[in-house]
Amino acid sequence: MSNKVMSVSNVSKRYGAIQAVDDVSFDVYEGEILGLIGPNGSGKSTLFNCLLGQTRPDNGSVEINGHNASGLSPSKLNKLGIGRTFQQLSVFPEMTVLDNIILAGQEHHGSMFSRLFGAPDAGLTPEADRLIAFFRLEHLRDEMAGSLSYGQQKLLDAAMAFMAGPSIVMLDEPAGGVNLTMLGNFKERLRTFNKEHGTTFVVIEHNMEFVMSLCTRVLVLANGAIIAEGTPDEIMNNQMVIDAYLGG
Amino acid sequence: MEQFFQVLLSGLATGSIYALAAIGFTLIWQAAQTVNFAQGEFVMLPAFFLLAGMHFLGMPFWMALIFGLLLAVFVLGFLFKRVLVDPLLKHGGLSLIIATMALAILMKESVKEFYSAEAQPFPEIVPNGSWDISGVIVSLTDISHLFISAVIVIGLQLFLNRTRTGRCMQATAQNPGVAEILGVNVKRMVLYTFLINGVLAALASFLITPVYLAKFSNGEYLGLIAFIAAIVGGFNQIRGALAGGLLIGVLDNMTATYITAEYRQAVPLLLLIAVILFRPQGLLGTSEGREA
Repeated sequence: MSNKVMSVSNVSKRYGAIQAVDDVSFDVYEGEILGLIGPNGSGKSTLFNCLLGQTRPDNGSVEINGHNASGLSPSKLNKLGIGRTFQQLSVFPEMTVLDNIILAGQEHHGSMFSRLFGAPDAGLTPEADRLIAFFRLEHLRDEMAGSLSYGQQKLLDAAMAFMAGPSIVMLDEPAGGVNLTMLGNFKERLRTFNKEHGTTFVVIEHNMEFVMSLCTRVLVLANGAIIAEGTPDEIMNNQMVIDAYLGG
Repeated sequence: MEQFFQVLLSGLATGSIYALAAIGFTLIWQAAQTVNFAQGEFVMLPAFFLLAGMHFLGMPFWMALIFGLLLAVFVLGFLFKRVLVDPLLKHGGLSLIIATMALAILMKESVKEFYSAEAQPFPEIVPNGSWDISGVIVSLTDISHLFISAVIVIGLQLFLNRTRTGRCMQATAQNPGVAEILGVNVKRMVLYTFLINGVLAALASFLITPVYLAKFSNGEYLGLIAFIAAIVGGFNQIRGALAGGLLIGVLDNMTATYITAEYRQAVPLLLLIAVILFRPQGLLGTSEGREA
């Protein structure tokens, strides 16, 4: 098995009487596409927020690339090599597609002096153009992000997540609200990026077809705990998973 | 026709100064999603800093100008943010709006108490005199005001659009949560915005005070006009605040010259009502807020 790039140990989070995440532990391996699924209320969003520094867990720890990442802010995680996409649209609407992507990478480069007097694109235009081409957004390069369709903004969001050269990309419901054609294109782009760059993905998603056709390994959460782990085929035939989804 | 051009130029010159104050409203709105109702007093006060430098500290005019500018940036930018905005913003924009109203009264009464209630003469920082261009008498003061304001606004736009820091400030205004996650130092960007507002207020103060004389109550009218200009142009867009300021400056002058001087101050209010009724996002603004 490949190297561990993320190690989640005994993470728990309680909201009042509800145990949203209950002593969850798992590892993420370099180059894999890990799916995190579960029925509504299973705790996957809370777990995802704990991993991304947006919610502080009550217990447990998260290690990323050998560094203790527990309690780190989202911006520090970004500098540790974690890229992320958002469930809600999270682009800068009054900036062009190109400027959005440059902005996503520029804070990893340069000094305060270069921020004020250096090249406004921080020398990142060629890299941004490569990502724009990769996600097939060339025709929208100079359009304001706010004028893009929902699916196009999702692609832009993904391109922004890749701009800082992350080793792990966390995808928060990437298929939500995206039409089937765009979704197929998006899935194919993610798979290609994974193959070409060896980037690790962790995907939280409701769309089972999307997860099962994209991921190499799947974790299933129910009532805040992991109830199953395996390949997509194993998960689809797991009786506990079927029961959890059907309420059996 | 000559008179028309003279009135137009004079209106643009005054309007460009209103625009500087109006842009301050926009910047604070973008950075903190609040309205600074002390913005008029922010334009009134730096003139008194300059006068204090000259009269109490014995500074020559140009040194007092720099002193006034730096003190305004510190007090109206840094201190305003640290002492009032930061502690109150977590309680919501409304608390801060009420606090800025109180701040306006405090600033006005403090100047009246500690400096003078009398209008003070204020030196003109640009040359007097006029040019005769094909029968059109062009005031050098008007030209200078327009030129200085244009340089400031163009400089601000270049800074915001052509530097990495400027783009980070824009990103912070558009989506602070995501900007922070991408590594932008959001707190620093917000501070820069307040400092820039301090600069704009000081420069507007130094340009407009020779016209009105330095008086504790100057902020009442200037604040109102700048607020109207920002709404008319589009509260969330710098270009809107600029357009609103220029429009009101020109309309004000045109009304006084061709219609009535007595009711000139009613015109911006009528324009405000019309804009709120028919285009609430302002002439160049974009819609934002709650959806139905």
